Amino acid sequence: MKNNNSQSWTIQSTRSVTDFKLKQILNYRYLIYCLVHRDITALYKQTILGPLWLLIQPLLTTGVFTLIFGTLSKIPADGIFRPLFYLSGIITWNYFAECLNRTSTVFKDNRVLFEKVYFPRLIIPISIALSLLFRFSIQLLLLCTGIFIFHEHGTDFQYRWTIALLPLITLLMAFQGLGIGILMAALTAKYRDLTFLLAFSIQLLMYATPVIYPLSAVPVNLRWLILANPMTAIVETFRFSFFGSGSFSWINLLGSAATTIALLFAGLLAFHKAEKNFIDTL
Amino acid sequence: MTKIAIKAEKISKAYFTDKIGTGTVTRDFERWLAGIRGKADPYLPAEPNSENNFNASQKVFWALKDISFEINQAEVVGLVGHNGAGKSTLLKILSRITTPTSGKITGTGHIISLLETGSGFHPELTGRENIHLNGAMLGMRKSEIKREIDAILFFAEVEKYIDVPVKRYSSGMYTRLAFSIASHLYSDVLIIDEVLAVGDHAFQLKCIKKLKSLSRDEGKTIILVSHNSENIKSLCHKEIKLTNGQLSCQ
Ligand SMILES: Nc1ncnc2c1ncn2[C@@H]1O[C@H](COP(=O)(O)OP(=O)(O)OP(=O)(O)O)[C@@H](O)[C@H]1O
Ligand SMILES: [Mg+2]
Repeated sequence: MKNNNSQSWTIQSTRSVTDFKLKQILNYRYLIYCLVHRDITALYKQTILGPLWLLIQPLLTTGVFTLIFGTLSKIPADGIFRPLFYLSGIITWNYFAECLNRTSTVFKDNRVLFEKVYFPRLIIPISIALSLLFRFSIQLLLLCTGIFIFHEHGTDFQYRWTIALLPLITLLMAFQGLGIGILMAALTAKYRDLTFLLAFSIQLLMYATPVIYPLSAVPVNLRWLILANPMTAIVETFRFSFFGSGSFSWINLLGSAATTIALLFAGLLAFHKAEKNFIDTL
Repeated sequence: MTKIAIKAEKISKAYFTDKIGTGTVTRDFERWLAGIRGKADPYLPAEPNSENNFNASQKVFWALKDISFEINQAEVVGLVGHNGAGKSTLLKILSRITTPTSGKITGTGHIISLLETGSGFHPELTGRENIHLNGAMLGMRKSEIKREIDAILFFAEVEKYIDVPVKRYSSGMYTRLAFSIASHLYSDVLIIDEVLAVGDHAFQLKCIKKLKSLSRDEGKTIILVSHNSENIKSLCHKEIKLTNGQLSCQ
């Protein structure tokens, strides 16, 4: 039975970076599987609306956006058929916002569990990011169906090389949600009143992301501000990968990737520090 | 030759009873500045200055003070002391639920702990699902859990309830299952905090028998808290006694 390594360990007060072992996470693969599985099946065990909600929510939002921003205020949409323009923005934004919302309250939501069992706490945010990827792929299918149905409505969809960017931006998006999420989790574990501020900021941040408008519609002197938001390049590239129009640039994408990596590292360090003692004060 | 399984050196634990802990942005900024300038942390908990370990000016409570001990492999150790002596705090530190304020513990092997009531079961999930989830949290693989699941259920005597959500279990059944999981899955050190108290008499005897065999036959190191001195006497090779967060000599 001695398959687990009888390694020696040290418990100390100092929060050294050296005892920060990402590899350890791999020993808990089965836990990640169980948590993701539970999260996905919980969706079906709920009401009838449970699984359908996954489709209804983006569809309704798309309808409202099309009505308000398309008909009333006439913000351009990069020549993309409006409902598809909004839908693609909504599903990427949903992933990011949901990931941030759920991971940022990890310590508070799992307090009872964290008081009883030790496992690397990072496993919880990782499983959240993974199970949300499942939702994301369902909504991606919805988008593909939409593209298929509205083929003629000025979308002129063809297979382009750009679709090859999709896995890359999905990965980037997941790392971004995870990175910022765990950074916020560490902060809210310590300064609890930040939770309200965070929920509010996420709502506002949507307006600083090209979800309801394309980057090309932003005045040139304000673009840097919108581009400072690492989600901008992701949403724009996501649309570009499907529709081939919009402002795609490798520089923006690389900038976003660099920001993501920096945020992820900051998040990992902060989370590692927070997980050690948060239980005493929460 | 007996090998040392766990060695604790001058473990202390301070709790900040202040509502916000150290959790204000400005205080942390000052600490950070002091750190950069190479000065001492201005908010490092001061030494206790009153009789009951309580430093009123900083609202710091010392739950443990300078605890040092050694535990050998395959030894059964009883941790005793009055309510609030710091027993659970010590076990939480050993289980990595929280960290010591100062001091160092070294050891070898995989630790499984059963801390106070329950062990993180999910009430909506069935017994079987919880065994898997709980086992996974304890770092087990699927194959290991599958291999032990029958033995776990048999020992806990809850086979009939395997597909019932655990919220329908009685508290005794809940504890039995938790104990059974912890004692059947692979570990080198088993930590048990006052769990024996919940089961009925027959189950308590069964647990004691199991613990004895785990230490004797499988060479597991066991640390347990119990307020039942008979249990302690019949099981333990050694006692560690805490009084107000300090070791008291035997
Ligand atoms: N999170 C916390 N914040 C502040 N004080 C705490 C915290 N946890 C425990 N304490 C204090 O630390 C002391 C030791 O608590 P602990 O739970 O270790 O006692 P114990 O020996 O297990 O007692 P019992 O026999 O009642 O289980 C107690 O006085 C308790 O009030
Ligand atoms: Mg206790």
